[in-house]
Amino acid sequence: MAPDITFIVLTTITLLAAIMALQAKELIYGAISLAISFIGIAGFFVSLDAPYLAMLQIAVYVGAVVVLILFTIMLVRRDEADKVEHAEGGEGAAGLWIAGLLAVSIAGVAALAGPSLPTSPPPANLPVSQLGPVLAGSYSVPLLILALLLSAALLGALVLAKVER
Amino acid sequence: MIVVMFLTWYERKLLARIQLRIGPLYAGGPGGILQPIADGVKLIFKEVMIPYKADKPLFLSIPVALVFLGALPFAVIPFGQHWVIANLDVGLVFVFAMTSLFPSMILIFAWASNSKYPFLGGLRSLFQQVAYEIPMWISALSVVMLAGSLDLVNIVNAQQKMWFIVPGFLSFIVFFIATMAELERLPFDLPEAEPELVAGWFTESSGAVFMVIFLALYMKLYLMSSLITALFLGGWWGPAFLPQPVWFILKTLVVATFIIIPRGVYARLRVDLLIKIGWTRLLVVALAGIFVTIVLLSTGVLSVWGL
Amino acid sequence: MPTLVSYLIVSAALLGIGIYGLTVKRNAIRLLFSIELIVNAANLNFVAFTRFMNPPQVSGQVIVFYSIAAAAMEAAVGLALILVAFRLNSTIDVRKLNKLKG
Repeated sequence: MAPDITFIVLTTITLLAAIMALQAKELIYGAISLAISFIGIAGFFVSLDAPYLAMLQIAVYVGAVVVLILFTIMLVRRDEADKVEHAEGGEGAAGLWIAGLLAVSIAGVAALAGPSLPTSPPPANLPVSQLGPVLAGSYSVPLLILALLLSAALLGALVLAKVER
Repeated sequence: MIVVMFLTWYERKLLARIQLRIGPLYAGGPGGILQPIADGVKLIFKEVMIPYKADKPLFLSIPVALVFLGALPFAVIPFGQHWVIANLDVGLVFVFAMTSLFPSMILIFAWASNSKYPFLGGLRSLFQQVAYEIPMWISALSVVMLAGSLDLVNIVNAQQKMWFIVPGFLSFIVFFIATMAELERLPFDLPEAEPELVAGWFTESSGAVFMVIFLALYMKLYLMSSLITALFLGGWWGPAFLPQPVWFILKTLVVATFIIIPRGVYARLRVDLLIKIGWTRLLVVALAGIFVTIVLLSTGVLSVWGL
Repeated sequence: MPTLVSYLIVSAALLGIGIYGLTVKRNAIRLLFSIELIVNAANLNFVAFTRFMNPPQVSGQVIVFYSIAAAAMEAAVGLALILVAFRLNSTIDVRKLNKLKG
């Protein structure tokens, strides 16, 4: 299997940006790296023939969530410089072990089950026009619940962030 | 880019006529048409001042990213029946996704300037642009309902017999107003207002940085005008004595004219009123537009025109 | 097109990075970053499986649709909580935010 150059580039960008998001000294750089990793994931969606989801991901995550995060960072400025926050001593190593073991075990399971998973995809099959009727038809109740949930979250966030006078 | 230069010249001439002046006349060539080049040369040679303690890499890279983002959606806008660069199945959503990236980049840029005035201007600009995105999406939704597809080529093709501005007139008005607010054109100009905040979120940019931002703004103007043309004004359909792309560009220029004209005519809108209008009144009108579209579609009135 | 397993490995790697962030970092906003990374890893997993299934199911994409919306909501509420916590305690270091009162 010849390695697919797009896939490799996307993987590198996404994972690097994710690591930078956590390790960057300044929170704002971290937020921007997070945005870049979201765009990388959107690229993955496009390569997996889900362009609508990719656009949705960009519009919602990068367009809205990152803006919210930037806002919050700007409002939560502590006067002293944001100190470097990684843990001292053994805790960093413990975190690495936990995360590493978990990731490796999941990846291992996936790789071991590899032969029984489909290796070559069926022809491109899910146009956007199929998504709409399903959403409004079979999944209409979850759609309505989602709408209610969105309103509740919006109101909740507003109430929480309101400044008491 | 050439179009952008032309647009800046065009705008200044037009505004000047409205304001009973003559506008740029001295830069040589017929009617001062070389003015944008003169502007460009001047701006390149101006010293690029970066404010103390500003965030240098962000400050310099974001304007470039803005221009890139402004130019990217042109790939999916069709200028003629077979004149589109990349025909995505979800072309319209692509344009909107790119549009929604603008406010976040403006916020980062305003913060990177590390001084009060650009930051405040950036916040106001952010509020304004985010608020007007929603009426824009909703009124575009009524176009999608009329055309039955998110693909821009299909949307324009569906307008063969009747431009969408006729059944979707309410949506057209909402989209137009929302576009003017997104582009920060008067009467929605507060982030840029001279007596208020010097120059808004790009106060601190000078020289080449300013030129790049300026370029990005006008590119966005052209992008939005061509989007309105494709969505509402029937894209490239016109009597066959002119080739299709020419029709498209002509219609886009007409739309751009109508966007530029209010700048010289209307008074400015105060920022909190502006945001309130965006969230309450305009949203209601946009929803009414969708409602009208649904009613028209379901009662079969539009089947005369094959919709 | 790369195999399903390669997408799953990328997703597992993202998950690992997210969990590392969640366990090690003290800044509440970085915890939020990690949560978003984890959710994105799960989304990637879903979309990868949807693509490779035979016959194609659209329910995978529907799930991701909801997941994106739900994660955005949760980020909004989480950020509001962080704001409130900051206002009350002047810190967003989660090791110092360990009192239930106030």
